[in-house]
Amino acid sequence: MTNGQRQDGTVVALRDVTKLYQQGSLEVQALRGLDLTVRKGEFTALIGPSGSGKTTTLNLIGGLDSPTSGSVRVEGVDLGTLNRKQLSRLRRDRIGFVFQSYNLIPVLTAYENAEMVMWVQGVPVADRRKRVMDLLNAVGLEGLKDRKPTELSGGQQQRVAIARAIASDPAVVLADEPTANVDSETAETLISLMETLNRDRGVTFLFSTHDHRVVERVKRVVRLVDGRVDSDEAR
Amino acid sequence: MAWRNLWRYGRRTVTTIAAMTLALLTLIVWTSFVQGFLRDLETTIVEVEIGDVQVYPPDYRTQPSIFDRIGTPTELVDTLGAMGFEASARLLGGGLAAAGEASAGVSLRGVETEQDARVSVVYDRVAQGSWLDPSDPTGVVIGGRLARTLDVGVGDELVLLGQATDGSIANGLYSVRGILAPFSEATDRGGVFLVRQAFLDFFVLPGGAHQVVVRNAADQPLEASAARIRAAAPGLDVLTWRELFPTLATMIDSVESTMYILFFIVYLAIAILLINATLMAVFERIKELGLLKAVGLSPARVVWLILWEGLFQAALAAAAGLILSVPLLFYFTRVGIDLAALGGQISISGIGMDPYMRGVVNPTIFVGPLSAMFVIVLLSMLYPALKAARIKPVEAMRHQ
Ligand SMILES: Nc1ncnc2c1ncn2[C@@H]1O[C@H](COP(=O)(O)OP(=O)(O)OP(=O)(O)O)[C@@H](O)[C@H]1O
Ligand SMILES: [Mg+2]
Repeated sequence: MTNGQRQDGTVVALRDVTKLYQQGSLEVQALRGLDLTVRKGEFTALIGPSGSGKTTTLNLIGGLDSPTSGSVRVEGVDLGTLNRKQLSRLRRDRIGFVFQSYNLIPVLTAYENAEMVMWVQGVPVADRRKRVMDLLNAVGLEGLKDRKPTELSGGQQQRVAIARAIASDPAVVLADEPTANVDSETAETLISLMETLNRDRGVTFLFSTHDHRVVERVKRVVRLVDGRVDSDEAR
Repeated sequence: MAWRNLWRYGRRTVTTIAAMTLALLTLIVWTSFVQGFLRDLETTIVEVEIGDVQVYPPDYRTQPSIFDRIGTPTELVDTLGAMGFEASARLLGGGLAAAGEASAGVSLRGVETEQDARVSVVYDRVAQGSWLDPSDPTGVVIGGRLARTLDVGVGDELVLLGQATDGSIANGLYSVRGILAPFSEATDRGGVFLVRQAFLDFFVLPGGAHQVVVRNAADQPLEASAARIRAAAPGLDVLTWRELFPTLATMIDSVESTMYILFFIVYLAIAILLINATLMAVFERIKELGLLKAVGLSPARVVWLILWEGLFQAALAAAAGLILSVPLLFYFTRVGIDLAALGGQISISGIGMDPYMRGVVNPTIFVGPLSAMFVIVLLSMLYPALKAARIKPVEAMRHQ
């Protein structure tokens, strides 16, 4: 998997990506020639009006959906060349996901939810235990490991999701509006947590948000409008 | 493993397992009864009355005559004995029995008690009195209904009349030594057993036999044995019990296929229930499955997750079914069901059945229903499992 893109630290590369959703006779052009590059260690926010294509972009990078045209590469691998099984493996080993809602399985405890990806990977129980405890500490949930999602606040639930997302040392963590369902104070602490993980552990984050207070703190902000990159600012 | 928690064992799961348990239990007990019934039927036919194979003089079957005999039955019995077949020669004849004012047509059977005990357990079916004894040549054993017709009991006198081979009127005074329990219509109504010598004396016969009854070892195919016997008895008529009682034979076969039809029906219902319950379970957990797939659980492992779920339920049902079957089988093999209480005497093709239907216990009554259940479970989980494997994470998680 060594190639040029990897050496210059490119983790995600979208080239001239379009996405056409077809719902019956209705066609929606969600992306219209999107170019985006994310490098290792970056902390990038994806913003833009509702319907501008943020979720679509994240889903394409995560291999949850496929583009109508153009190429999506993760660590140099063109996702269009992978079959279902290979895509599963890529998601399992190279991508971390934090979703806006339904991140956790309600019947599992915080510990078990955080453990989930490693269970899918087949990591031995002892290694899993050590790592999960370390991660729960890192996201500030040490005492709450045995709680079910319903016994956790929205912010705490997202912390579990973040712990799960970084558990497998992914190339990139994709987070679609991770702060949408929490108050703005909690949103800021979640972003702070992500920043800390980015700084201390070198985790690459690409997340979408509508929250202006969050946007102000982020190093790189990519703004989408109508399925294209409207602006790309580094601060 | 905590991942078992993924599946909340709700009421539907309990219902499904209960249904599988009930189905399994029903089929185990049913198989036990069918096998018990077939065993009893065959026992009645083969062990008591007719043996596995019968040898007759040529044409005797179409035109029975006291004169048509197997000339050297002892030789044939010995030859068959050397081949590994237990055999016994019998004499058959018709006559009239009278006691007091009553009389009835009877079929007389002359048997050598010691030899006959090797092929027939009729000696064990004496309801009152005792079986024949060569030291009591005038003692006869008669069918139960015949005893009632003649109004005789054990120890009462009986006159037999017939046509002797020398043209004279055969007649003799005998005493009722034993009365048989019902096992076949013909014997019950008119069967009279005599010791061989008494029969020969009655009909003024020099010797021979009208029938040689042969038993076949349980592990030997009937037709193959019949062929060997045929080779050892040239010029004689050799028939298997299936040929002698074709309606019974087909009935036994159809009982067996009925058994499989019930299997099919019961398990079809279980399959429908399972497919439905599993599809609902998959649908209910669509978000969970979507999330698991999003974080990289492969389609193949999703299939396994669902299949394991089914196998786990089936294993619980199997354990419950087996445990519950123990007391039921214990009861049904010992006590049985009194069919007489349900509708009187049971008789099939003139062969009277023991009115108590009892089950049998052997590995096959468990193996059949159990293996069929696991196959059905796997087959019916496959469709929901494949459906679950096709879930698209993005759509699944958007699901309300
Ligand atoms: N599955 C789908 N079928 C049809 N159209 C879709 C589908 N998913 C998204 N779209 C459309 O594609 C466009 C882009 O949607 P997307 O969800 O990517 O926007 P977004 O930037 O995430 O919006 P928001 O800020 O509201 O989350 C929208 O017009 C949306 O209606
Ligand atoms: Mg969105």
